Amino acid sequence: MVKSEVARAWGFKGSAIVVYLSFLVFTLIVLLPVYWMVRSSLAPAADLIKVPLVYFPRPTLRNFQTLVEQVPFLQYVRNSLAYAVATTLTTLVVSYLAAYAFARIPFPHSGLLMWTLVLSMALPDVGTIVPLYRVLKNLHLLDTIAGITLVLSSTLTPFTVWVLVSFIKQVPYEIEEAAIIDGASLPRVLWHILLPVTMPGLVTMGLINFINAWNNLLYPLSFTTSPSSKTLSVAITEIFAGYSPWGKPWELIMTVGVTMTIPVVILVLFSQRAIVRGLIAGAIK
Amino acid sequence: MNVQWKFALLKPAQRRYLLFLALVAPAFLLRFATAAYPILQTIYLGFTNLDLIKNTNAFIGLRNYLAMANDYGVRGALSFTVTLVVSSTVLDLVLGMLVALLLNTTFRGTGFARTINLIPWAIPTIVAGYAFRWLLEDQFGLIPYWINLISGARVAVFISPILARVVVVLVHVWKDAGFMAFVFLAGLQGIPPELYDAARVDGANAWQRFWRITLPLVMPLAITMGLFRLVWSLGSFDLVYGLTQGGPGVATSVLALQIFREGIMFFKFGFASAISVVLLILVAIIGVVGLWLFRKAEVTY
Repeated sequence: MVKSEVARAWGFKGSAIVVYLSFLVFTLIVLLPVYWMVRSSLAPAADLIKVPLVYFPRPTLRNFQTLVEQVPFLQYVRNSLAYAVATTLTTLVVSYLAAYAFARIPFPHSGLLMWTLVLSMALPDVGTIVPLYRVLKNLHLLDTIAGITLVLSSTLTPFTVWVLVSFIKQVPYEIEEAAIIDGASLPRVLWHILLPVTMPGLVTMGLINFINAWNNLLYPLSFTTSPSSKTLSVAITEIFAGYSPWGKPWELIMTVGVTMTIPVVILVLFSQRAIVRGLIAGAIK
Repeated sequence: MNVQWKFALLKPAQRRYLLFLALVAPAFLLRFATAAYPILQTIYLGFTNLDLIKNTNAFIGLRNYLAMANDYGVRGALSFTVTLVVSSTVLDLVLGMLVALLLNTTFRGTGFARTINLIPWAIPTIVAGYAFRWLLEDQFGLIPYWINLISGARVAVFISPILARVVVVLVHVWKDAGFMAFVFLAGLQGIPPELYDAARVDGANAWQRFWRITLPLVMPLAITMGLFRLVWSLGSFDLVYGLTQGGPGVATSVLALQIFREGIMFFKFGFASAISVVLLILVAIIGVVGLWLFRKAEVTY
């Protein structure tokens, strides 16, 4: 039974064929590239260049094995994880402190300060890449995880502050006030009183920042040069640049692609509600 | 006199200010070091011929900007950047709305559709770029293969400038429309059903209900999202980098890709910075127009 504004808007009286058909087309468009990617990552290389196309090759993990043997694949996975986790934590700590100040402490022109921070979000990352290269070089942070973590944390901070401010504002001040009167210090208030109640906001922003960092290409591609700091996103571009005897090594490219996709898709599927709650609380309200 | 003691001597207001400053300092320092200072540097470098390979570094006034006007790559990138962000954002909003209306229906399968809706958004952009490149590859790509089966025609997407451009726009939409739909869906679910009931009692038909209730109520959300989408996609280069690398020729190049190439690959820092300034100006223009639109939309309701 189709019951909705859409169904009515399109003039259905019980008939659902068009709605079902739309769903079918929608599902196909969303899932076809995913299926093709997974299929190509599990296929032996020879199966990718057969006509007629092989839709269901005999699955093999041979491609993962090749990656582990021929490139420092596990190192790239570790680097990507380190980059994503370090960026998430740095951004959260810095943003949480600033968000608390903006939400709770009266300061002349604090609104203006916050808007300066938020508006800096509009700056395109790529627009500052040349000076950043020089900054990182001078700090001896080129080609290090710390360097790319630093620049991406900065990029993600404004949005995180913005969302966290509205999360903190939703918490009644009386809770903190009572603790302060009882003689609790600021670190205690932040850690023991406010942190537990704003946890949903922190988790949401943590997830969003983790996904952003894991997916990020620009900074690692620009600022890393050796396997000790390259991430999976850089690795995939390098494998794409390479050639095998039969052309591009698509089975390996898609294998790295699947490796990069699985963690994020799992995170997103399990936390859709949390993500939308966070975004609505912060950005769109 | 120890620090704590000094702190105790300050007036409450001063203590509050110090506390405020201490708390926001890390965020602002981080932002200053990697955003504010680099922006100023970019603007300055745009007037120099700093080049790590030719080893030049002199103030050359507006010469980078004049060179840009004649630069085939930059001109192509500028026009495609604008085409890409505008057309993909408009398509994103329209399709996002349609998908949201679809996902807002209640019947068997909605749960599944809602679950998979966000998958394209979650896939790393560079991976999506390569996935579609492979899907569209002329010899063993699935889609040209199907087209060939059906019509006998052979299509080579990445050789035709027009096809390549269309594909870049569509893949952009594939990647982001789901997120748009996700946000719109939340917006739709926030509309009180009584409004529709009241309108129905007043005799409004479905079309009128959509135009008079749904659309106006979702409009501020649409403008905000559209604005974000415009500004963010202006600076993105992952998708083009994976999908076409800007080709054929410079048909699908974007400013961000040009900046990356000239700056990070060829170390022409001065020239790359000048392109960055053009990008920043573009962002500023779109931002101002967008804010103006947003205020107009707010006044209406």
